[in-house]
Amino acid sequence: MHDALTLDARANHWLALALGLACIGTACIGYAIGDTFYLRLATEALIFGGLALAVDILLGYTGLLSLGQALYFGLGAYVSAVTLIAFPSFWTAMGAALATGLFGGLIGGLIANRVRGVYFALITFGMAQVAAKAIYNTRSLGASDGLIGVPVLDVNLGIVTVSTASPVGFFLLALGVVTLLYALCSYLMDTPFGRLLIAIRTNEARVPFLGFRTTTLRLGSFVLASCVASLSGALYPMLRGFVSPELLFFSTSGNAVITVILGGVGTLVGALYGSIIFTIVKSVIGSWTEHHLIVIGILFMAVVIFLPKGLMGLAQPLMRRMVHRGKP
Amino acid sequence: MRDMIELSNLHVHYGTSHVVQGLSVSAARGEVLGIFGRNGVGKTTLLKTIAGWLKPSDGSITLEGERIDGRSPDRIARMGVGFVPEDRRIFPGLTVEENLTLGFMQASGRSSAANRAALEAIYEQFPRLRERRQQAGTTLSGGEQQMLAMARAMVGEARLFLIDEPSEGLAPMIVADVYRIIRNMKAKGSTILLVEQNVRNALDVCDRFLAIERGRIVHSGSAASPTDTAKLLQVIAV
Repeated sequence: MHDALTLDARANHWLALALGLACIGTACIGYAIGDTFYLRLATEALIFGGLALAVDILLGYTGLLSLGQALYFGLGAYVSAVTLIAFPSFWTAMGAALATGLFGGLIGGLIANRVRGVYFALITFGMAQVAAKAIYNTRSLGASDGLIGVPVLDVNLGIVTVSTASPVGFFLLALGVVTLLYALCSYLMDTPFGRLLIAIRTNEARVPFLGFRTTTLRLGSFVLASCVASLSGALYPMLRGFVSPELLFFSTSGNAVITVILGGVGTLVGALYGSIIFTIVKSVIGSWTEHHLIVIGILFMAVVIFLPKGLMGLAQPLMRRMVHRGKP
Repeated sequence: MRDMIELSNLHVHYGTSHVVQGLSVSAARGEVLGIFGRNGVGKTTLLKTIAGWLKPSDGSITLEGERIDGRSPDRIARMGVGFVPEDRRIFPGLTVEENLTLGFMQASGRSSAANRAALEAIYEQFPRLRERRQQAGTTLSGGEQQMLAMARAMVGEARLFLIDEPSEGLAPMIVADVYRIIRNMKAKGSTILLVEQNVRNALDVCDRFLAIERGRIVHSGSAASPTDTAKLLQVIAV
């Protein structure tokens, strides 16, 4: 017998599976027609989907609005780029990004978790701004121009070697990484740790009276989110061949929050759907007009007003009914 | 025999307001101590201070001889103090069973089989919660939420229960259920500090009581003594 939250999680897994199959279908079509642009765009959507997952862990499960999650995404991207330039190995770059996420998340979490609510949002925003400005002014990291010259990699996965220059190959590699991140987050949110994060979100004051230290739980959530963001960011220089300080700017953090709200807060899979829709809308409308932010702003307002639970507010109940039809 | 809980010359302030003023009291293991008084005299403040929510400005609190005043609420909870606050404070985003399993932390050394057995024992006592085990906390009635809050404290096998206004806002039939549970807890040897406005109901389960007025004890006695209880009703003007 499963509880309501586990059933929701199962419905989400089916939605994630549908997304995964759609991605594989996209890869097949892209490969067949020799497409590069849309596969690169879809890869970018998946990478930013990883950042949105991190925002959802904080916002949707722990009730913490981070306005600076791009800090860890950008740090992961820079660490990955620097590592790849010095030592072109996918696994080393990912390991370095993970270490950055862990260490950076621990430091950032210790600072940001001292406060709650709007102050938490402002502190995360401030930390990201400080790091962005520091990188912006650091010549050895390319300053405002960013860091270029990230080499093309051949990623040895044991049974197959994938080149980061191959649109379809790297798209599938990014899909694999984001799927693993989703699976990890989803698993953790379905454990007592995840339930405690929900308890913190709904009634933080009561949690200590059950014997739990909320600061430790919040820190755990923060570090998890920073690792997910950092690992996602590590893929960015492999896709684009460069990194720039804009990756740490507020626009990146703000877009991730919009993405999560668009997809559905507290669902994880909604963050991935939201990222794909957001990236496509931004790109398609961006190709028509340079004022695409106006359209995105209107879309965001419409979702908040008419779909407060995001797209998953529509899709999740349908999927839940389909999955559990005929079961007691 | 060593007291389960002992408060000695306890003072608590809310800013400049001196809410608890040099209060000393103790409760033996297995004893149910009623704490009565009008609104705003410091009863809930007293429980919150024992639970670690508030820090005393002076005095000491010992749990079976160990000082707990000034410790964090999570540490005090893990030492075996179960708090059932007035506003119930269940977790609305979680199901009934998930709310209950969070109470396992207070018995962290227990095996998962023992946890399962403890949960089953709770469901035996609270059949309504078993029926609603997969429902979200938000779907429960006020009485069911009160049951859940009490059951969650019980599942962790606390040494001392702090129960604040358990009948507040509940229908008489539900109140009878709540007091049936408290009587069961007492029969199992639980030590309980019971804050209650509904004095007549509470006196049925209490061994001793004290009445508070402006943060000080103005009367105390045995719940079995008609003289003591008559004076209590007079003091708190029920």
